[in-house]
Order: sequence, then structure tokens, then C-alpha cells
Amino acid sequence: MSTAALAVTNVTKRFGSHHALDGVSLDVATGDAVVILGPSGCGKTTLLRLIAGLEVPDSGEIWLSGTQVAGPRRSMVASHQRGIGFVFQDLALWPHLTVEKNLGFVLESVKTPRAERVRRVDEALKLVRIETLSTRYPHELSGGEQQRVALARAVVGQPRLLLLDEPLSSLDQELRATLRAELARLQRALHVTTVYVTHDRDDAAVLADCVVEMRAGRIASVSDTKRKEERE
Amino acid sequence: MWRWQSSRTAVVGVAIVVFGVCCLLPVGYLLTMSLTGADGPYAAVLLDARQRGLLYNTVLLGTGTALLATAIGAPLGVALARITLPRKALFRLALGAPVLLPPYVVGLAWIYFGSSRGLVATLLGRDLVSDWTYSLPAAILVLGLVLYPLSMLATEVAMRRIDGRLEEAALMVAPPGRVLWRITLPLAAPSIVGAALVIFVIAVSDFGVPGLLRVRVYTTEVFTAFAALYDFSRAMLVAVPLLLLCLAVAAVAAALLGERLVITRRSAGTRPAFLDAWRRPAVTGALVVLAVALGLPLAVLVREALGATSLSAVLEGSGEAIANSLLLATVGATAVLSVAVWLGYSRARARGRIGQVADVLFVVVFAVPTTIVGVGLIGLWNRPGVLGTVYGTDFMFLLAYLARFVPVAALALAASTRYVPLSHEEAAAVSGAGWLRTMFRIVLPQIRLGLVAAWVISFVLAFGELGVSILVAPPGEATLPIRIYTIIANTPSSHVAVLALLQTLVIFTPLALAALGAAVSLRPATCTQSVPSVIEGREGR
Repeated sequence: MSTAALAVTNVTKRFGSHHALDGVSLDVATGDAVVILGPSGCGKTTLLRLIAGLEVPDSGEIWLSGTQVAGPRRSMVASHQRGIGFVFQDLALWPHLTVEKNLGFVLESVKTPRAERVRRVDEALKLVRIETLSTRYPHELSGGEQQRVALARAVVGQPRLLLLDEPLSSLDQELRATLRAELARLQRALHVTTVYVTHDRDDAAVLADCVVEMRAGRIASVSDTKRKEERE
Repeated sequence: MWRWQSSRTAVVGVAIVVFGVCCLLPVGYLLTMSLTGADGPYAAVLLDARQRGLLYNTVLLGTGTALLATAIGAPLGVALARITLPRKALFRLALGAPVLLPPYVVGLAWIYFGSSRGLVATLLGRDLVSDWTYSLPAAILVLGLVLYPLSMLATEVAMRRIDGRLEEAALMVAPPGRVLWRITLPLAAPSIVGAALVIFVIAVSDFGVPGLLRVRVYTTEVFTAFAALYDFSRAMLVAVPLLLLCLAVAAVAAALLGERLVITRRSAGTRPAFLDAWRRPAVTGALVVLAVALGLPLAVLVREALGATSLSAVLEGSGEAIANSLLLATVGATAVLSVAVWLGYSRARARGRIGQVADVLFVVVFAVPTTIVGVGLIGLWNRPGVLGTVYGTDFMFLLAYLARFVPVAALALAASTRYVPLSHEEAAAVSGAGWLRTMFRIVLPQIRLGLVAAWVISFVLAFGELGVSILVAPPGEATLPIRIYTIIANTPSSHVAVLALLQTLVIFTPLALAALGAAVSLRPATCTQSVPSVIEGREGR
């Protein structure tokens, strides 16, 4: 049994004949920000989806805060019960719901009282600095604003683990740098355990306490960063 | 360049003229004549209590059928889209089969099931449902069981088009039932509602079922006015409110469905089978629907047909009608395809408003009730001179099939053509190929499956067509549906049942071949689930 915020133990995953993950193990301490770096097709998104419960491993185990959530070919804890906030690469904002309803849906699902819901949605929107956009629909927002909504939606439920799947990949360089700094600020403010998938080393430099490099479904290297040393 | 433009203009132009003459002119003629033919006819029609009763019955039939078909079809569509079902392709084919049955065949089975001498009365020894056999609820039940596949397929297609990541994002915070209710269904709702409206229009346009079950609605009234009372003016007047109702609802449906009518591609994201926990109830429900909508009607017809003493005696008086039907449906389907392929191509390549207008036009024309098309064709062609010469021939059947089925085939082929990138045509053009050569060598070969499907659908629909055929049939000529409908009252039920089964057999033969093809191409469930998620997944997998 592992007591780390996240423990992935010897996990493998295949899609048909394609070996997406091959014996991957990873421990993440509470409050740490881990950046998983790697080229396209190296298995980093698959790893994130396994942690989120959107796929089940073929073998190995996944533990969250001392509770096993997945084992070989089975999920012990459903995705919505794992306490995870997820920012998808294409953001996956629900197009038929306004910004506040996108966030509200998360809180309604855990039966948060209405007054509390309104307060927490406001807080989350303020945190990412888009409180004036609450009644807009996703298609009425710019790319950067949509990014912030996705982030607010991921944190509004106060998750114990935040997963981000290349959330900045579709943005231009300038906006990317701005939002990268925002993400770092947010992660420090919330002190939430974070796993961030990217193929951009600049993201890693700003956001990571620890950088995990992946190649062909395996972990090639793990290294602490300057940020962690400074923090400690 | 000139050749390129001129051949396309000529071919598409001819197709548009044929569409105008066969599909638009009869309706336009009917509307014009009803507006100019009498003094203040609309007031009389609308104020007549009898007419208001007709309107009430018609709307009730359409609404009830749409609700029932959606209640059955939408959950099945959800199951097909989001549950890992065993042998899904065969399930989809079997569940979709009832929509190919001519509604009056199921109506006939219903009569043999529930009437005072029917299956229920025989088995129970008591007459429990005969009072209900000839009634509006019975017509709703029959049409609902025939038309639910439209809702099922529309729901499945709509859900396959939804980006699975929207659902995955919701699954991170909510249980599957809530994700379905709050995320998936609202996104699929326009298609589900659009399909319900289309079902409404088809139900109020149907003539066979209300005719058989003695329900007074507009279509039966138009038929009675024309065929029994020989009152053409009255037939036209009664037809107008029904026509306006159908056109209005069809226009709303087309607007709701929008580009969905011709875009059938799947979403780029994953499609999570997040309702797998409901697999057992879904399979049970699907089997129950199959038993009631397909198994029961066929079993009842078989039971009734077993009473026939000799097959040759049954076929003796109907052989000509059967041969007529086969020949006319074959020629009709080919004619429909010959026109629809060019219209479908033009629609697929049309942009912006023109494409939207074409969609609405196709749906609205398809929504014109059968008896109205019949009355319109008679008014247009039954006159002295050349037109009159045509009127007395089998050519009227072909006109009827073109009027009824070109819009459906054109929409289906537009959807197929959309799959062929425009760049393929452009590449052929810069290689020196003319437009016709490009079409026959590059475009049509790529949509050959769509062409086959459109021909089969047109054949099946033409083979079962009753509402227009019964009005425009030349004296002494009959197709199998006309034969069945006209001999019900004075022929042993076993004979009628044999003919209905024969008709079903011909209709289901292409379906069985398709099922065979699906069975051959079936792959293990694990592959169909996981491989697409790799193929369609993004980088990083």
C-alpha cells in the first residue's frame, strides 16, 4: 500500500497490438507538481487517462492517497469518485452550458447547496480572472478565456489531484507564456497535487517540481527541478 | 473548362427539371387549384365540425405516434451508441428492420392479432381487445412500432457525433446517469426532436394503417372523396389543411436537423461506452422490442397464412400484381437513383443558404402525404392530349415513385458524396478530365455503397408503396400492395396473409443479405472498442 498522493505501480496498457504503456511506475507526493514530458505517442496521455479512470490498466495498480483505485483490468473507484480535476487538451467545455453552469455542474454532482455553489463558482472564476464572463457560452469566448474556464472547472470541486493534458498546446506563444505563469501561480495558491502532460520543455521549467520523461511507453528519467529545490 | 461547366449544367439541370415536374408540380398544382377553384372554400372547410374532427384525429395520430416511436427508439439509440452490445451490427439491422415493413402489413397483422376472431381471442377463449382493434390508439401503436427505428437511428447518429471528451469531462465529476441526462441528451436533443417531427409527418401522411383500422383522418378522407365519391374538388380542399400541416412541421424538422441531414461523420474524439452497467436491461429491452415489433407481426401473419389450402390458389389471382410490383419497383428504383444521384451531388457541393434551402425542400417534399401526391398527379396528368395518353399507363406508377422517393434518395446520396473530398474532383479536373468523366471515374466509384443502399431503399419503398399507387393506377392494373388492400374485405384472411408475407419476404431479402455481410465482417468486441480509440486518439496516447 502506498501513502503518496498518487502511486502508479508497474502499469501496462495495450490497445490491440500497440503497447501504449509498459511497466510504468510513478510516485507523486502531496502538493507536488509533476510534469510528464515526451514526444507524441509515448503514452503520456494514456497514463493520465488511466489515473483518471477513463481507461483501466491491463496490469499494475493505481493508488490515490492510500486507496487503490484501479487494478489489472478493473476499476475499483469510478472516475467521479476519485476526487480528480481534469483539463483536457481540447478543453471539452460543454457547449450547451454557460460558463457558470459548466462550473456549477461539477458542484451539483456532489450535491453542494445552492448558496455554497454560487459562492464557490464565483471564487473559482475570480481565481482565473474571468468573473465577468460567467453568463457567456463557450463559443463566445476567446481561446485563452476558454482555457481559463477549463481550469476553473477543474479546480472548482477542490480536487485532491489535478490532471492537465497539454492544456496550452493550441495557443500562440505569447498567450501560452501568460497562461503558463497563471498556472504556476494557481498551483502554488491551491497547493494541489498536479500531474501535467506536455511535450514543451518551457512548460516543465516553469511548472514542475519534478520532470518525468517518457519514451515509447516507458519512463526514461525522473529529475527534481530547481523550483523544487527553491521551495524546499 | 467550358466542357466541364456545360456537362455539369446539363446533367444537373435535367435532374432539377425532373424533380420539379415530378415532385413540385403536383403539389403546386393542388395548391393553386384549391386557391382559385371555388368561392371561399377554406372558410367552409375550416368551419365544418367534421373537418375539425379530422384535424383533431390527424394531429392526435401524428403526436401519439411520434411520442411512442421516440419513447421506444431514443433509448435504443442511446444503447447502440453508448453500450458495448454483443453483435451490435446485427442488433442494429434487426431493430431497424420494422421501418422497412409497409405499415399496412403490420396493421393487417394487428387485425389478425386483436380482432374478435384473432390470435388473442383464440388463445384466451375470450374477446379482450377486439373493441380496441379498429381505433385511433391501435393506429398509433402500429405506426409507432413501424417508425421507432427512425428515432433510434437519429439518436444513435447524433450521439456518435458528440465528442466523447465532453462526456469524459463530465464523468470525472458525475455518475453515468447524470452525464447522460445533463450532457449527452441535451447535445443530441435537436436530432431527437427533429426525428420526432419527421415521424409525426410520416404518420399523418400514412394512408394504409388508418384506412385499415377505420380511423378517420385527412388521408383517408381525401381517398374517400376521390375514389368513393368521385368529388375531385372536395378531395383537393380536404387535402390542403393536411398539406399545410405537413409542410410546416417538415420545415421545422429540417431547420432543426440542419446540416445533420447530410453530415454523418463521427466525432473526432473517443466515444466512451459509459453506460455499460445498463447492458443487461438494454439487451433485454431490445429483445422485447424486436419480439413485439418484428416477431409478433410476422408470427401472426404466418399463423394466419397456414390456413391457406393451396399456395397456387392464392397466387392464381395475384400473380400479375406480384410481377407488376417487382418490375415497377425495379424500374422505379433505377429511375429514382438516376435523378437523385445528381441532386445529391449538387446538394453535397452546395454551400451556405442554397444547401440549407435544398435540405428543407427535400424534407418538405418527402413530407407531402401520399394521397395528396396522388390527387396532384391525377389533376396534372388526367387531361386530354398527350398527358392524358400517359395517364392511362404504368408510367403513372413511375411518376408516383419519383415524386415520393427522389428526395429521400437525394439526401442519402448527398450524405455519401460529402465523404468524397472536393480535392479529388479538383485533382481530376487539373488532370484534364471532364466533369462527367470525373463523376463516373472518381466520385461515383467512391460512393458505390451509398448508391447500392439508395437503390435498395428506393426499391423497398416502391415495392411497398400504396397511398399514391392506389389513386393513380390505370384501370385493371394493380401492384401487390393495391391487390392486398383491395381484397381484404372479400377474400379469406389466409390468402391475404400469404400475400403480405410474400411482400415481406421480398422486402427483407436485401436486408438479409446486408445482415449476412455484417455477420461476415464482425470483429471481436475488444477490437472494435479499443482500436478506434487508438486510431482516432490524439498524440500522446
